[in-house]
Amino acid sequence: MKLTIEVWRQENAEAEGRFVTYRVDDAAPEMSLPELLDRLNDQLVSAGEEPIAFDTDCREGICGTCGITVDDVPHGKVPNTPTCRQHLRSYDDGDHLKLEPFRSASFPVIRDLMVDRSALDRVIASGGYVSVDAGTAPDADTRQIPFQVAEAGLDFSACIGCGACVAACPNGASHLFSGALLSHLTALPQGRPERARRARGVVSTTEEEFGPCSVYGECVEVCPAGIPISAISAVNREAARAAVRRRRDD
Amino acid sequence: MSTPVQSRSSKASGPPKAGHGGLPSVYAKLIMAVTGAVFAIFVLVHMIGNLKIYQGEEAFNSYAHWLRVAFYPVLPYEGLLWIMRVVLLACLVAHVYCAVLLRRRGAVARGRWRRRGLGLDVFAARTMMVTGVVLLLFIVFHILDLTLGAAPAGPDEFQAATHEVSHAYANLVASFGRWPVALFYIVAMACLALHLAHGVVSAVVDLGVGVRPRVFSALAAGGLLFGLIVALGNITIPVAVLTGVLQ
Repeated sequence: MKLTIEVWRQENAEAEGRFVTYRVDDAAPEMSLPELLDRLNDQLVSAGEEPIAFDTDCREGICGTCGITVDDVPHGKVPNTPTCRQHLRSYDDGDHLKLEPFRSASFPVIRDLMVDRSALDRVIASGGYVSVDAGTAPDADTRQIPFQVAEAGLDFSACIGCGACVAACPNGASHLFSGALLSHLTALPQGRPERARRARGVVSTTEEEFGPCSVYGECVEVCPAGIPISAISAVNREAARAAVRRRRDD
Repeated sequence: MSTPVQSRSSKASGPPKAGHGGLPSVYAKLIMAVTGAVFAIFVLVHMIGNLKIYQGEEAFNSYAHWLRVAFYPVLPYEGLLWIMRVVLLACLVAHVYCAVLLRRRGAVARGRWRRRGLGLDVFAARTMMVTGVVLLLFIVFHILDLTLGAAPAGPDEFQAATHEVSHAYANLVASFGRWPVALFYIVAMACLALHLAHGVVSAVVDLGVGVRPRVFSALAAGGLLFGLIVALGNITIPVAVLTGVLQ
């Protein structure tokens, strides 16, 4: 299949970017978007041009490394699917694709389609973890956790940190990410001793790095991990709870 | 990622930071949710009160009069009305302030490239600012028209309420007898329906209620239904005046 591809080219963080149009004549329906970019890069390298820089790693939708905006939608047209699992079978011969980086002031472009998503890491570093001393595993039944509770915790922990929720949000908010972080760590007993302290850190860093949530719900349309929309309310809930707990850690 | 890139928050200078300084966004959203809920309850009660017009002139005027003398002598004349006015005005100021603050922070955090390709399902959410401004203008006009009767907003035949009697029915019919006023009212009510449709959903989520995906759809439908009930209940009144049902 023949495709016309408009790609965002930007030398570095300071340079002005622009769209450049390319043609790929030997694309195949079974190719994923990173494979299409590989194909295009082969063409560019053969022609002596600079290849397009883009983030990619596992290519099976579990690592959260890839992420580009395809025709104005983060990750691409198939909902809840990462860039690497978006295939050309969703397109027709002769189609036009527009590929650009994730758009958010919190994600500065490094080069071409690569953005710096370390703002997400700073949110995690501000409390999104459990401080436990490693040791022998506790006996299996000392703390009984109902199946539904464990499953809910796992649902929220499925976040792969790709940043699509931020790129999908008209406000550049990260509430789906931050809320999933807070929700999965408070679902299980290990996260409880630091619950309020964590909320203070995560919420304040979320506000420093990202925008406010207006409940558009665009994030859940693109989230490749299928984080449920109930995550976003956890940000306000945990912040209010932490405020009531005053200076306590839990 | 080898290229060192500064975070937005660590920049010493540059664009204003989304979350820095002033009221935290989390509290701004909680304030919007609480004040919005006050407005939602108010417009519902106001609409139910308005429907008393279909019980006839005497019933409607006596309801209007009761609002002024309610709980007398525990409350002074117009005491209930003034309590409502002060509370609603405080809510309005807080709601608008937070809305502007959050909109600005959202625009800064999003940056230069606006999100494009949004569908109709977020139409109400995207137009909150527009519907909000229309509602603000409408509130000003509505008070000039039917509370103060100040020309040219109010009808020429406006009769102010006295301590003994209220002329709400005649004032309303005279006001909606002017078709541009009736049309503006209907447009404002359509905006109210849209504003409530998203506002109810947003308020519930912002108050920290974890809404599961399926319940979220039901909540969105509930918000729209609530908005439509309030708006359509009110819209029947100018329509009834223009079609001559109310005279």
